[in-house]
Amino acid sequence: MSSSKENNRRNFIKGIGLGSLFLGSVQYGLNANTNKENKKPHYAMIYDQNKCVGCSDCEIACQEINLVPKNQHRLYVEDQTKPDDLQHKKYMRVSCQQCVDSPCTEVCPTGACHKDSITDIVTMDIDKCIGCKYCIVACPYDVRFINERTNAAENCNFCLNTNFAKGKDPACVESCKYDALVFGDLNDETAYINKILDVKDAVRLKPGFGTKPSLRYIPKLKTGVYDE
Amino acid sequence: MNELITYSSGFTEEIGWEWPISVYLLLAGISGGAIIVALLIRFYKNQTENTAVYKSASLVAFVTILLGMVCLVGDLTRPLNFWQILINYNFNSVMSIGVAALMIYIPLTFVAVVFAFADFVKEKFSFLAKIVDLLLNFRVILEGVLFLFGVVICAYTGFLISVLVRFPLLNTSILPALFVISGLSAGTAALCIMAKRVFNENVHSSDMKILHKIEWPIMAIEILFLAMLYISLATGNEAGKIALAAFHEGSWSTVFWVGIVCIGFLLPIILNFSKKEQENSNSIFYISAMCSIVGVLCLRLFIIYAGQTFSV
Repeated sequence: MSSSKENNRRNFIKGIGLGSLFLGSVQYGLNANTNKENKKPHYAMIYDQNKCVGCSDCEIACQEINLVPKNQHRLYVEDQTKPDDLQHKKYMRVSCQQCVDSPCTEVCPTGACHKDSITDIVTMDIDKCIGCKYCIVACPYDVRFINERTNAAENCNFCLNTNFAKGKDPACVESCKYDALVFGDLNDETAYINKILDVKDAVRLKPGFGTKPSLRYIPKLKTGVYDE
Repeated sequence: MNELITYSSGFTEEIGWEWPISVYLLLAGISGGAIIVALLIRFYKNQTENTAVYKSASLVAFVTILLGMVCLVGDLTRPLNFWQILINYNFNSVMSIGVAALMIYIPLTFVAVVFAFADFVKEKFSFLAKIVDLLLNFRVILEGVLFLFGVVICAYTGFLISVLVRFPLLNTSILPALFVISGLSAGTAALCIMAKRVFNENVHSSDMKILHKIEWPIMAIEILFLAMLYISLATGNEAGKIALAAFHEGSWSTVFWVGIVCIGFLLPIILNFSKKEQENSNSIFYISAMCSIVGVLCLRLFIIYAGQTFSV
């Protein structure tokens, strides 16, 4: 009687031991999986306002590579030089900010505007687009447009279907003679973009919207020293 | 806004959504509002017969929502691709939720039309009699669901544009409520016109008296909501102050003060208190109802145009 009780207890303890071993390894396996998922790339771009000279080579390259109609842009360089101070040139890149929490993909009713499953880049499935313009009005940065040729909404997708597919940098980065643009994967610790972000102050536009844009701007803050 | 670094030239040339959307918002409001009011009267009075108000409501709701669909599809840049929205759903998107709701609501409004004219349908299309009888068995349940979806349709149009963060006039929590109440206002007015004009309902019948009575609290709540919107923007942050300019600057402020306040609110009140002579009472009845609808149209136009003009 007492020995069978003893046995029961022993079996019980054995069971607990084996069970916890099993659960522990399952937990470990799951963790290993999520770690792998975290390694998904996070592509980002830096625009250095100090280096940009406003030559608009990037605009032209983008239009050519991505077949954007002539009077339209995925990417536009705004001249912010003050009219009363022409010696201090200042430019600004206007393009899709590639938000992590992107309102455009949230509001798109058909899933035409979506995040690419492999790269997480915000891009378009033109065939699904009905042209409701919901993504255009939902974008906090007003950088989406209806392409006149396809009649579908469009944004800068880091040349996902063109240069990126061929393993090249986006057309704008490739064409910039002044190294004002850097493209790379933030989750790759060895990437050049991370080395720059380690040493330079870079900001996101309108962070108050809370959409976590992937475009970083290195602002021109000092007025500069120059001889007259 | 005063940011460290920003740009001034977005890609939208004038505004993204234009008047077809405003007209759709009005039509969806009328459709949902008419159904809500007529079914409330029906439930409240335990009516079993098809009253003139019920017949009007079913017709108004069905026709306006179909016209609204024409506006929506017409505003697409790829209208022939519209079927994509019927087979792809993204339930993070208010528009997608709205489409799903419309897929239930539109057939139900048609069923309401069948209920309202059941005898006529059975007589003319005798082969449908069995289906009509089958539907009539579930009449109360179907009307309950229709009532619910009437509210959903009115409210979703508000949520549709209140999620647009770039426009502080639109990105407010009061907007869906304002759209429901103004939908009720326009729906009631449409019911009044329809019931009298098409079904020759006596203006002093008990149903019409209810319609006439509820107009005033609806208008009072509408004014209250607009005042709340104004005050929340005026006491808000910088974005709120940018949006507040919509009420004072540009041509859309005129639409607000003349269209919404004068035509939508003041004129019906003045007409109601003006001397009623027998010959004039008909025209005053119609003008007053039309004023409500025009007021709500102006509200939708103001929200869409002024809302998108004053962006952050």
